[in-house]
Amino acid sequence: MIDLLLAGIDNIVHLKYLVPLFLGTLVGLIGGALPGVTITMTIIIVLPFTFGLDPLQGLATMTGVYVGGSAGGAITAALIGIPGSPSAITTTFDGFPMTQKGQPGRAIWLGIWSSCFGGLLAGLFLIGATGPLAAIALEFGPWEYFSLFVFALSMVAGLTEGSLVKGLLSGTIGLAITIVGFDPIMSVPRFTLGTEFLRSGFPFLPVLIGIFAFAQLMTDIEKMDGSEQTSAPIKAPPLTVSHLKVLWEIISRPFLFIWSTLVGILIGVLPAIGGSAATVMAYDQAKKFSKHPERFGKGNPEGIIASEASCNANVGGSLVTIMAFGIPGDAVTAVMLGAMTIHGIQSGPLFVSQHPTIAYGIYAAYLLAHPIMVLICAFGARLFLRVVTVPKSMLIPNVLVLCVIGAFALNNIMEDVVVLLLFGLVGYALVKARFPLAPLILGLILGDQIEVNLLRAIMSDPDPWLFFTRPISGSLLGLSVASVIFAIWQHQRHKGRAEKIETEPDF
Amino acid sequence: MKVVTAAVAGLALCAFASVQAAYPDRPIKVIVPWAAGGDTDNIFRPFGPALQKAMGGTTVVIANIGGASGTVGAREAKGSPPDGYTLYAVHDYIHSTYYIGISDVNYTDFEPVCLIASTPSIVTASPKTKWNTMKEMVADAKAHPGQISVGATLGSTSHFFPALIEKAAGIKFKYISYDGLAQRMNAILGGHIDLTDGNLTQKGKVDAGQLKFLATATEKRSPELPNVPTLKELGINVEYAVSRGLLAPKGTPNDILTKLEGACSQAAKDPGFAESMRKQGTDVHYLDRKGYASFLKDNDTLNKNLARELGLLKR
Repeated sequence: MIDLLLAGIDNIVHLKYLVPLFLGTLVGLIGGALPGVTITMTIIIVLPFTFGLDPLQGLATMTGVYVGGSAGGAITAALIGIPGSPSAITTTFDGFPMTQKGQPGRAIWLGIWSSCFGGLLAGLFLIGATGPLAAIALEFGPWEYFSLFVFALSMVAGLTEGSLVKGLLSGTIGLAITIVGFDPIMSVPRFTLGTEFLRSGFPFLPVLIGIFAFAQLMTDIEKMDGSEQTSAPIKAPPLTVSHLKVLWEIISRPFLFIWSTLVGILIGVLPAIGGSAATVMAYDQAKKFSKHPERFGKGNPEGIIASEASCNANVGGSLVTIMAFGIPGDAVTAVMLGAMTIHGIQSGPLFVSQHPTIAYGIYAAYLLAHPIMVLICAFGARLFLRVVTVPKSMLIPNVLVLCVIGAFALNNIMEDVVVLLLFGLVGYALVKARFPLAPLILGLILGDQIEVNLLRAIMSDPDPWLFFTRPISGSLLGLSVASVIFAIWQHQRHKGRAEKIETEPDF
Repeated sequence: MKVVTAAVAGLALCAFASVQAAYPDRPIKVIVPWAAGGDTDNIFRPFGPALQKAMGGTTVVIANIGGASGTVGAREAKGSPPDGYTLYAVHDYIHSTYYIGISDVNYTDFEPVCLIASTPSIVTASPKTKWNTMKEMVADAKAHPGQISVGATLGSTSHFFPALIEKAAGIKFKYISYDGLAQRMNAILGGHIDLTDGNLTQKGKVDAGQLKFLATATEKRSPELPNVPTLKELGINVEYAVSRGLLAPKGTPNDILTKLEGACSQAAKDPGFAESMRKQGTDVHYLDRKGYASFLKDNDTLNKNLARELGLLKR
């Protein structure tokens, strides 16, 4: 195993493969950082260029895009407060406040280093444990998926600051949005008001960009009001950062880091869940395990570490299903497998034994893409960090335009732009009414999947007790209850504490 | 004044020239109504370069417009100008989604260009099932009607194929909705469903003992699978393949269609395309405009009847 991997690395370090890997990582970083451009879109754009390459060159390029894209989202999230890709949502929670406190360098490097280590650690896990991890993934039938999503949804309670009622309402709105349009099983139109426009429902990405980006930008514009003239020559925040300090911040929290990585891997291994659920789960658990949950959302480094480590570990996790069964774990790996099919490589469980050079080449590319990503960021960081010194009056319109282009380019249809604008207004209204947005996004991510798996479970066997009697499913439901109780207890304790100590030293 | 007149005349001439410019003078877009990496995408990706060569080097772009069981792309194709610059990569789902009411786009909204490929279906079973042959499966299904679970995209080809077997063999399955082959593969490897509609791209998993091929829906045994019987041999009179072709929006001028048809027939013979199809377990199956038109008509009737028998007919 190890010698095969070493051979894989030895193979990949040839210029022939390093150049595509490097270019892929660079393109991925850019695509990941652009709000509205997802990793899937970036990889589809790259796909035609890989046809002329040999299979491993093509796959190395795409692996680079995947790794770079997962890290790239953090940069936009930390600097502008808008997730560059959906899975970077949780990085905005603490990364952006940290930037606002004048530490943009610390925020993005915490993200980049956590991504790098999370990804590398996940890579080591995978090499040792592909078999057992894959076996777990197969055990998940519709009951287990349903319970897992319920568990994920129970995190609404933990993600809510202030009013629990508003948090729950926000989560419900998210779930309700997914109901509109054709139902996912029998295609019965629901709440379409008889219009063509609403028949296919609200597409996830435009809604997400609308709610998050638009609401964020609008609040920024409000704050700008007049203050920009007075503080026009803003003192540029320190762009340099002590890497040793940032690294120590990560290494001194081994439990948080390893746990977030594990969450990322596990969610990555399970098909059809995706990075956004992984980062939300990791963030929520970091908060639950933390001694100071009240610091989350205010620029806590733990929030960034949890979010970014799990995000890149998730990439590693989705490579497991390719290695073990030759089936895609998510949309990005589906495109990678498609590229293999076009090159005539039969995907399947024998893939690793029949094409060891390619299989271990992918592992090697995955591992090498991380240091490459850090290297690119080291050169680019000064450039990205300039974003914080750009006057808001120039930055905001540009970001808005990028959001609109991203929403349109996804499916090349104009309806998506309308959805973006509509949900921009909804998001803004919710922010004004002090509703937390994170639960809404969680509901939006999970709504369809909860419904589909519930129906599948019932179609397979009408007995509802199976949700409790199947061991994995039952445990997950138990954990959901525990998670809600724990969050409420933490909330109460925090309230009690806050009354005793009025001001706490910030980090 | 003279200058202006000259300029106007010049502009008019330019405009006239651009109208008269020989088709094609700009890139041709092929709409694939599903995500990149799916079966349809994998077939049209290698077809793109072959068509490009046959069209004298005009760029052919594959545009993935996915969503809502492929109906978003269908609608987009239907609304595109009929100028030969937008084509639509389609398979049999266009009939079924129309009749079960998912989509309001019908095959009659388009002009046929050519049929290029057909992928025969194979009855594929989970490794956790106890049967090793189709006969054992049928016997089990007769003993336990409605107990054997089939994963399918409801209302699409993966639903209609097992439904044809049900009818021909006089058995009853239980359907569980799994959209798309990748999801079905996960479920069947884990034993959460018993059967599904598969094709030769799954051969790797069968060789590894992780899936079982029970029978092919072809007329003769596949040379790649000499040990797998056909349904016909077993007395189940079902032949089924997913057929993929190109359509153009209704009203596309005849000369453009003729030109496309010619390029298509040349591209279908391209050795690179043929090799890629062979590796994917798909047959190159070329039909010209006329042949494809009557193929679509027959297929439409077949799908309408099937939808009616399944109790899904909404039109």
